[in-house]
Amino acid sequence: MRSLTFEMICKAFGRRTILEDVAITLVPGQCQLLCGENGAGKSTLLRILAGMERPDNALVVSGDGSRSWRRARKRLLADCIYLHQRPYLFEGSVRYNLAYPVNGRRAVRESLVVQGLEWSGLSTIAEQAVHQLSGGERQRVALARAWLRRPRIMLLDEPTTNMDLACRQRTVELLRALKQEGLALVVATHDPLHFADIADHRLTLAGGRLSLDRPVYDDLPESVTPIDRRARVTALS
Amino acid sequence: MGSIAESTKQALVLLFGGDPGLWEIVGISFQVSLTAIAIATPVALVLAFLLAFGRFPGRRLLITLFNTLLSFPAVVVGLTFYILLSRQGPLGEWQLLFTQPAMVIGQIALALPILVAMGHSSLQAIDRRAWETARTLGAGRVRAVYTLMREARFGLLAALLAGFGRIIAEVGASMMLGGNILHYTRNIPTAIALETSKGEFAQGIALGMVLLLLAFLLNGMLQVVQGKGRQVA
Repeated sequence: MRSLTFEMICKAFGRRTILEDVAITLVPGQCQLLCGENGAGKSTLLRILAGMERPDNALVVSGDGSRSWRRARKRLLADCIYLHQRPYLFEGSVRYNLAYPVNGRRAVRESLVVQGLEWSGLSTIAEQAVHQLSGGERQRVALARAWLRRPRIMLLDEPTTNMDLACRQRTVELLRALKQEGLALVVATHDPLHFADIADHRLTLAGGRLSLDRPVYDDLPESVTPIDRRARVTALS
Repeated sequence: MGSIAESTKQALVLLFGGDPGLWEIVGISFQVSLTAIAIATPVALVLAFLLAFGRFPGRRLLITLFNTLLSFPAVVVGLTFYILLSRQGPLGEWQLLFTQPAMVIGQIALALPILVAMGHSSLQAIDRRAWETARTLGAGRVRAVYTLMREARFGLLAALLAGFGRIIAEVGASMMLGGNILHYTRNIPTAIALETSKGEFAQGIALGMVLLLLAFLLNGMLQVVQGKGRQVA
């Protein structure tokens, strides 16, 4: 799998420019954090990358050349998956939700769903109705459902907001597994430290511009050595 | 004319004695109203969907129009289609006046606004993320539409029950468009009106009981359906 580059992404809502000539490359097996204040355009950017929101301008460059976002849209929808901040689960059981993106013969579908349940540690609550689940469980259902879609790229919008420590760690572990499988991840977050363990880069979106490659550990004092930092970060998250 | 008690007793005898005349009228009612609702529902679903998710000029006007049509009196619907279908009317060639299809047309016109207005509001209440989630999980447009309908199914079912409840008990349009012809267009409400005007209450009371029972069942189902909807939300 090759990387996918977006160039010259521009988007304005009315007179308000949200994204101005933004470029980003999604690399297989890499996790990039997307930081920025509320309303900076993090969600908009993720949704454009996912093929869900039409930008005013954008170019998509992949191994077989470059094309406009409009021409690339179908492929983006097929390759990328976008996870809402509060995931939407279809009414029904956990199993029903996991089965949603799975195609093929019944036996194949069922075995894939079982794999998804095991992967996300949801086997014990497979038959539970989703409206009875906690926030952390809902997030895991959404992640497992997304995983079963077999995307190349996963774009997550604040996946650990309002989660307690245990839930957050579980979510991060699932993201680590996705990364190891070779997915390109982009995680929009206010708390980069939560993802410090799995993140390769940190991007900051401000004033419509995306600044690249700020180290993930930037927020910690200089005097701390990398190993110490890692320990501190783990403790913090 | 006997006493009310006497008429009620006769009514019960008619009902439980399986009086063929009475049950034929009930059958005609159901045949006409079920046909009307079967035709109106798919059309209403498409309209409700467009009103809830489409972005086109005149959308708000259409929503207001359908909400206004909710309180359109049945006799006025009857009058309108009577004029259209009468021999000199623009649709006179079809020769439909005083036939079951004419009643079906009138009942479609009565059911459609309820189905559209209630369907629209229940689809509108569905989270916008539902559509995006379906699409991002690989659903094509058709499957995504189906998914949304499934998410809104309690509200849509409530619309269906309310629509059916209105047309099965409606007298004005059926009387004017069907003409209350025995064995053909005489349905429950028109038969009740006729029997009452003749002073023969027994059959009227029996048919009234059928309608009341039906209303009770429909409302009971509506309660269950809406209760389920709330539970889920």
